[in-house]
Amino acid sequence: MAAAAMSCAASLRLISFKPTLFASSVQYPAKALILRPLKPSELPSYRRTIITFQKISTGTVRPPSASSSPSSSEDVQPIEELPPKLQEIVNLFQSVQEPRAKYRQLIFYGEHLKPLDPQFKTRENKVEGCVSQVWVRAFFDDQRNVVYEADSDSSITKGLAALLVQGLSGRPVPEILRVTPDFALLLGLQQSLSPSRNNGFLNMLKLMQKKALHLEVKGEEDSSSGESLESSFVPTPETNGGASVVDNDTESKPSFVEDLGAEDSDSGSDVVALGGRGKRIREKLEKELNPVELEVEDVSYQHAGHAAVRGSAGDDGETHFNLRIVSDAFQGKSLVKRHRLIYDLLQEELKNGLHALSIVAKTPAEV
Amino acid sequence: MEGVAMKLPSFKSLAPNAISIGHRSFSRVRRSSSLSVFSAASSSATVATSSESVSLGHRVRKDFRILHQEVNGSKLVYLDSAATSQKPSVVLEALQNYYEFYNSNVHRGIHYLSAKATDEFELARKKVARFINASDSKEIVFTRNATEAINLVAYSWGLLNLKPGDEVSLTVAEHHSCIVPWQLVSEKTGAVLKYVMLNEDEVPDVDKLREMISPKTKLVAVHHVSNVLASCLPIEEIVVCAHNVGAKVLVDACQSVPHMVVDVQKLNADFLVASSHKMCGPTGIGFLYGKSDLLQSMPPFLGGGEMISDVFLDHSTYAEPPSRFEAGTPAIGEAIALGAAIDYLSEIGMPKIHEYEVELGKYLYGKLSALPDVRIYGPRPSESVHRGALCSFNVEGLHPTDLATFLDQQHGVAIRSGHHCAQPLHRYLGVNASARASLYFYNTKEDVDSFVVALADTVSFFNSFK
Repeated sequence: MAAAAMSCAASLRLISFKPTLFASSVQYPAKALILRPLKPSELPSYRRTIITFQKISTGTVRPPSASSSPSSSEDVQPIEELPPKLQEIVNLFQSVQEPRAKYRQLIFYGEHLKPLDPQFKTRENKVEGCVSQVWVRAFFDDQRNVVYEADSDSSITKGLAALLVQGLSGRPVPEILRVTPDFALLLGLQQSLSPSRNNGFLNMLKLMQKKALHLEVKGEEDSSSGESLESSFVPTPETNGGASVVDNDTESKPSFVEDLGAEDSDSGSDVVALGGRGKRIREKLEKELNPVELEVEDVSYQHAGHAAVRGSAGDDGETHFNLRIVSDAFQGKSLVKRHRLIYDLLQEELKNGLHALSIVAKTPAEV
Repeated sequence: MEGVAMKLPSFKSLAPNAISIGHRSFSRVRRSSSLSVFSAASSSATVATSSESVSLGHRVRKDFRILHQEVNGSKLVYLDSAATSQKPSVVLEALQNYYEFYNSNVHRGIHYLSAKATDEFELARKKVARFINASDSKEIVFTRNATEAINLVAYSWGLLNLKPGDEVSLTVAEHHSCIVPWQLVSEKTGAVLKYVMLNEDEVPDVDKLREMISPKTKLVAVHHVSNVLASCLPIEEIVVCAHNVGAKVLVDACQSVPHMVVDVQKLNADFLVASSHKMCGPTGIGFLYGKSDLLQSMPPFLGGGEMISDVFLDHSTYAEPPSRFEAGTPAIGEAIALGAAIDYLSEIGMPKIHEYEVELGKYLYGKLSALPDVRIYGPRPSESVHRGALCSFNVEGLHPTDLATFLDQQHGVAIRSGHHCAQPLHRYLGVNASARASLYFYNTKEDVDSFVVALADTVSFFNSFK
């Protein structure tokens, strides 16, 4: 019984439940299915509490505070910011109106989740606060994208886990970290987003993001790439220049992350005109590293509470930068060594109010 | 305190195709056989001389506005009263009334409002005492809830009286609130906790408990009615056993006081605890019953105002019980509202409530056990074994969380899934979690029917994936 008022041209009939329907990628213009404003005042502004990275492979940076498009709700993460597979999943669920069919869909996802080897059902991998048991495992593939595996003894929870696994696997860490649980609202499963102890879905997502971050951090200690790492909670002891990674609490923002590892071929537009510090950084790096490519982006405005204003003059406002450097100077150096090199060059700035750098450091051959 | 004695029609005589007409006011169930007429002597039952008799559940539903709503597009069927009960309007009015007309701090003031508040507060204490047949209202200590009451005994009586090697006897089916405080206190005192397991009827093994009680035992802490197994322990017997060796007995009566007559004189327990929110009263208030001489011998639990006699810089002297154990401003309005809840229950009559629930509980058990692949925990009901009106169960191949979620989302049926604050019990039973449907006197046969239909639908939905 197709719902009478389906807004999309749904040739997708889900009465007879054919698995093949989901194997194919569903083509929907994403914007046509943009969410209805969902009582923004009631939604937790989750965005501000998770680690903020920006500048990922696709799309422009969207400052969290401003919302220019009338169709998107200010506090709910727009669908375009989600990893592509997750967008697909959300669209799929939105096209299914009938609640039972939604559940069927969800459970179908769960049933087709790759089983998790019992050896990974450890305490470390267990999601807190689920009435059912849920485990999540995360590791890097050889391109430093995070791969997830999960399992649960409850069908619905397994389905939710499968959504997250499918939606987030194979994606780079920063993209994963940007995802907020808002998208669950779009699924129409009446998934509560209240951050209670019992919210399995929320806690699942948090654990997956925490594990992604830890993989990132642990990865820095590891100079040989291609080795798959299990995420662990041991923070890297090696930090530099007064900045440190906070990894005990996904709620807090780390002030410093090394090598986003993203294969980005992004436009590198300097959204913000560089102020004094930004210019100095650029000069220094250019002089010392003779880069083939150099991007210095001031993203201080993204960090609420740092009293940073977009493009403000004066060093006080310039606290966070993204650097993308392609240079022969990195030849033969491990990731750690490359970053150390950059810090050493920017010692002065780090002493005087530069809070954090997000660095992509490659040799020309690696690009 | 006897309630009104009314003859309730038993369910067996209800025609299978009985129709109930809505739940807004009381609904009437049509029956083909002749009916007994009863006279309504209480204000809560306003059916006067109807020639049709109405079940208790139907009669009282109008007093509970919260039950008349839709959730997720279906009528609400509330089957989680073991977690918390719903409150009748008179209780809500009593609370509102207190704040609107005579809110004032108790025991301290001289002025009119505070005198009135104090009177009502102490009257509520008397009502509680009468409700459980305590010999004196001084034997009732108001606490935040039963959990706090047990902690009070643990920290006050326990720390003073438990020595290394002393034993505290518990059952594996205890609620966490009657396990953890003893763990905390035994760590501090060197006492040892001993647990009795279930017998083949899936009831705590009373024979083993008897054997376990020895001169080393200082305390036996057990539930009256289990919130998972629905079983009822023979408290009187256990108390005799315990007193023989000089041990005290604490009874967790959270699931019994709301549902049946509980007489502490008959039970002869040393301590008894219950929570208001499970017996139609508000949250935030509960009580500890303790025998006078016992409470007299106990040191304070929490320190502060109210519980003192004189305060100097270097020491203080303490008040007599119950004040000794009621530090700070109590939940005055809540206590008064609890008193109103007790009045409400008493007007209906606890024997009548119990009788109704035994029937309805049997009906629930019968319909649930008739479904394939359903495993209900606890004893089977029989002539000698009366279960409480709740069923914890599991369906083969279906996780309780999935079950409860689907029931709620698709059918508006509210049950609980999880370990129900009884993890050791679930571990013993070999499961991670169970689903639980629990009834109270405002539930009806139709509630049970709706639940069973919804459950069957849920099971078939999830089975379709296999």
